[in-house]
Amino acid sequence: MANVLQTSFLPSTSSLRRRSISGSKGKSQSLQVKAKIREIFMPALSSTMTEGKIVSWMKSEGDKLSKGESVVVVESDKADMDVESFHEGFLAAIMVEEGGVAPVGSAIALLAETEDEIAEAKAKSQSSSNSTPQVVEEKPKQIEEAAPDVPAAAAAPSVPVAKAVTLGSAVHPASEGGKRIVASPYAKKLAKELKVDLGTVVGSGPLGRIVAKDVEAAAVAVPVAASPAKPDPVAPGIELGTVVPFTTMQGAVSRNMVESLSVPTFRVGYTITTNALDALYKKIKSKGVTMTALLAKATALALVQHPVVNSCCRDGNSFTYNSSINIAVAVAIDGGLITPVLQDADKVDIYTLSRKWKELVDKARAKQLQPHEYNTGTFTLSNLGMFGVDRFDAILPPGTGAIMAVGASQPSVVASMDGRIGMKNQMQVNVTADHRVIYGADLAAFLQTLAKIVEDPKDLTF
Amino acid sequence: MHSTLSFSRATTVPTTNYAFHSQSPINLRFCGLRREAFGISILTRSSSGRVRLSTRGRSKRISASTGNNGTPPKSFDYDLIIIGAGVGGHGAALHAVEKGLKTAIIEGDVVGGTCVNRGCVPSKALLAVSGRMRELQSEHHMKALGLQVSAAGYDRQGVAGHANNLASEIRSNLTNSMKALGVDILTGFGTIVGPQKVKYGKVGFTDNVVTAKDIIIATGSVPFVPKGIEVDGKTVITSDHALKLEFVPDWIAIVGSGYIGLEFSDVYTALGSEVTFIEALDQLMPGFDPEISKLAQRVLINPRKIDYHTGVFATKITPARDGKPVIIELTDAKTKEHKDTLEVDAALIATGRAPFTNGLGLENINVVTQRGFVPVDERMRVIDANGNLVPHLYCIGDANGKMMLAHAASAQGISVVEQVTGRDHVLNHLSVPAACFTHPEISMVGLTEPQAREKAVKEGFEISVAKTSFKANTKALAENEGEGLAKLIYRPDNGEILGVHIFGLHAADLIHEASNAIALGTRIQDIKFAVHAHPTLSEVLDELFKSAKVKAPASTSSPISEPVAA
Repeated sequence: MANVLQTSFLPSTSSLRRRSISGSKGKSQSLQVKAKIREIFMPALSSTMTEGKIVSWMKSEGDKLSKGESVVVVESDKADMDVESFHEGFLAAIMVEEGGVAPVGSAIALLAETEDEIAEAKAKSQSSSNSTPQVVEEKPKQIEEAAPDVPAAAAAPSVPVAKAVTLGSAVHPASEGGKRIVASPYAKKLAKELKVDLGTVVGSGPLGRIVAKDVEAAAVAVPVAASPAKPDPVAPGIELGTVVPFTTMQGAVSRNMVESLSVPTFRVGYTITTNALDALYKKIKSKGVTMTALLAKATALALVQHPVVNSCCRDGNSFTYNSSINIAVAVAIDGGLITPVLQDADKVDIYTLSRKWKELVDKARAKQLQPHEYNTGTFTLSNLGMFGVDRFDAILPPGTGAIMAVGASQPSVVASMDGRIGMKNQMQVNVTADHRVIYGADLAAFLQTLAKIVEDPKDLTF
Repeated sequence: MHSTLSFSRATTVPTTNYAFHSQSPINLRFCGLRREAFGISILTRSSSGRVRLSTRGRSKRISASTGNNGTPPKSFDYDLIIIGAGVGGHGAALHAVEKGLKTAIIEGDVVGGTCVNRGCVPSKALLAVSGRMRELQSEHHMKALGLQVSAAGYDRQGVAGHANNLASEIRSNLTNSMKALGVDILTGFGTIVGPQKVKYGKVGFTDNVVTAKDIIIATGSVPFVPKGIEVDGKTVITSDHALKLEFVPDWIAIVGSGYIGLEFSDVYTALGSEVTFIEALDQLMPGFDPEISKLAQRVLINPRKIDYHTGVFATKITPARDGKPVIIELTDAKTKEHKDTLEVDAALIATGRAPFTNGLGLENINVVTQRGFVPVDERMRVIDANGNLVPHLYCIGDANGKMMLAHAASAQGISVVEQVTGRDHVLNHLSVPAACFTHPEISMVGLTEPQAREKAVKEGFEISVAKTSFKANTKALAENEGEGLAKLIYRPDNGEILGVHIFGLHAADLIHEASNAIALGTRIQDIKFAVHAHPTLSEVLDELFKSAKVKAPASTSSPISEPVAA
């Protein structure tokens, strides 16, 4: 009934080699071990087939296969076929995941003869194909081993799970004190796809249920969370001329950056005079207020008047006016990047906000940020002013509506309307926004409001 | 399929029961409209119509010159009384008039029954919307065609209105078609008071008693709700409520993954809901050919916002109240242990349909229902408690549970009318097609592969299976809808078609070539010479028949090979 093809397992080159030396059995131990790992190729199911799509793997890595057992369903240009195993052994490594497409004759998985060889086969699969997900998955483990001194909570994306479980699911009233995670069907599907552990996700749906957008937000946040885990900054031991595969974090950042290209963004810049803000900062600095907190506060107050700039569009069909204004502020840490979030920055007073900020930065340095402390931002601030950068533009993080790049405030010669020339401190800000939901006039109005607040900052301390 | 159906009859709860009912509407609609057209043509061209009728009725009885409804017999008020004006009753009534019988139909609710008012018809309206939404939302699909569409949206009220309007339009079509032919529509609940005697009347009014030579019970069915489930009509609903589309929940659990459940999952996911299936059996979509359900799951379930629990019963469902969501207790179907608790925004109960036979007065004629179903023989003759046939009493449609499909009821009704007008007729249920109107559609006729294999072993013949893919069909590819499979189960020795299963674009319309072949006994070696227009989807079946390897030669007197004109 099922179209069972017997052609899937072509002998790999190594096994051919083995056959050639089969006369001298056991002559070369290492060669023989190597030879027991066979490649599973994409079979040619019809004469016109050039590539096949993996519909589903019926076995998972590590599963034992007996001869004649169905391993994988392959979709060709004509039909779907079950492909069955020609050899006994263990499915060591899947090289093309479900939904993936591979040309006829290319390796799609490795088959190990004994259980001991699974690891070896895995290693082989990683070296032979740097696009496999295995590379990404394996990395965190290696990192953990390499850097035992890194606090566990931030060591790898998979580790904060344990801590966050209670946090994530306890929100749900019926989750029996965190024993159950309540997530919608699509959220579950997405979590599997994006490799997000639902235990780490804070639900924002009805009654605290985890919905798709929570998973998406968590997926965006994961790379950031992972960044502190990078054990050794590249600087000391960079070998020039080498090709270095992405770490998990770099891979995730890369994916997010590429994903950001699907959002049509545009930029609007504005020059803001900061004399009044600088004066205020000087005055209340002794009370522990930081410039970051002031900027976040000013931004939040401006966002109150322009809710559309605090909105986000996730599906391309609708957008969400976020109910709270959570300012994420990008912070560079150990060569990585993290965005601690100042929640409800519009409502919290500047002193509390400053304390909160200090706490977040300390936590970030100690790699102890909880997921909700870095993945709930609705608007992002990125400040490179401290490096003397006077202007730059930022890439919009997926899942948010806008990000503001803040340059250094520096004294400038300014001509005023009445024909005088004077000296003023000015900084340039540049907002990148999702034009599907935020239009030029929205940003212009927002920036005008922001400038007004910064230039007359009495509301910041209320 | 036949065995699936008898399974439905044997159990009151099966998902397939309800399911089987749901998929008939297009056929029904065609039927209703065609009949209506016939009726109108008689009215407008009165003389020719009369001539036509009398010719038809010649052998049986002289057609009345005053009207199209036949003359009453001397001792009875009517030749035929049908209790229930659903699709089955309607089909029987129209055929009875055509045969010259004086016919009355008793309806206690609205004409059209479940199918037209609460089933197939309004659900097709919703599915028409979901199909278009799905297409418009599929950026990938649109892009492949070179189309650009900005965000597709929908207005719930508008969608619900379309479903409601369609139901009333079809209902009035049905009513008019019967009125035009002169069928007496008697309002009230019908009860059998004795042999050939029925009383009817509205509650609070005096009953009228009428007599008829023959009586057909066609009272249909109602949604079956297992115990432990509290239906409030708002958050815990049956298909009756769901078709009104009063709200589109974010997350809806659908109990039962038969036809009804599948169709509603198609509607709800297209409108933006997420769906959780709860299925008592170990796999989704029981009742379909396993290969088809496997493929269907890959296309209709896995890529959509749907998850599922199989092998579990929803033993307790509490509607949303006091700020709490709908709570569903899941119990393992085998161990009977509590397995999980779900909290969702709404739950749709699609666990089957129960016959609506209470109050029919069956006790007056010594008939005992089996789990509510009226026992009948293969000619739809009602069997009494002692196993004897009740003379002049028939039961068709969901009420007998043989095959819970609107068009099957209609076919059974026609079969009964044939019998009472003197021609023996037994309906071949294996030739009755069934369809599920998901996107893409699923359709089938005859046996599934496991059923065919079982039969082959028992009766000692060989079977073969042929398959063709929509991926190889030009029209399907032009539509960019190459996903799909047609499967033929046949006897290689004599070319008999045992079953055909189709999953793909317009599968519901494509199945009729196969179902007609089975009904007429056409063999593969003959039908393979029939010509199909190119390029059309029907070539999927053409190729299917051609790819079958039949040992028997084509019959020499095949109607297809005979020239029509010299």
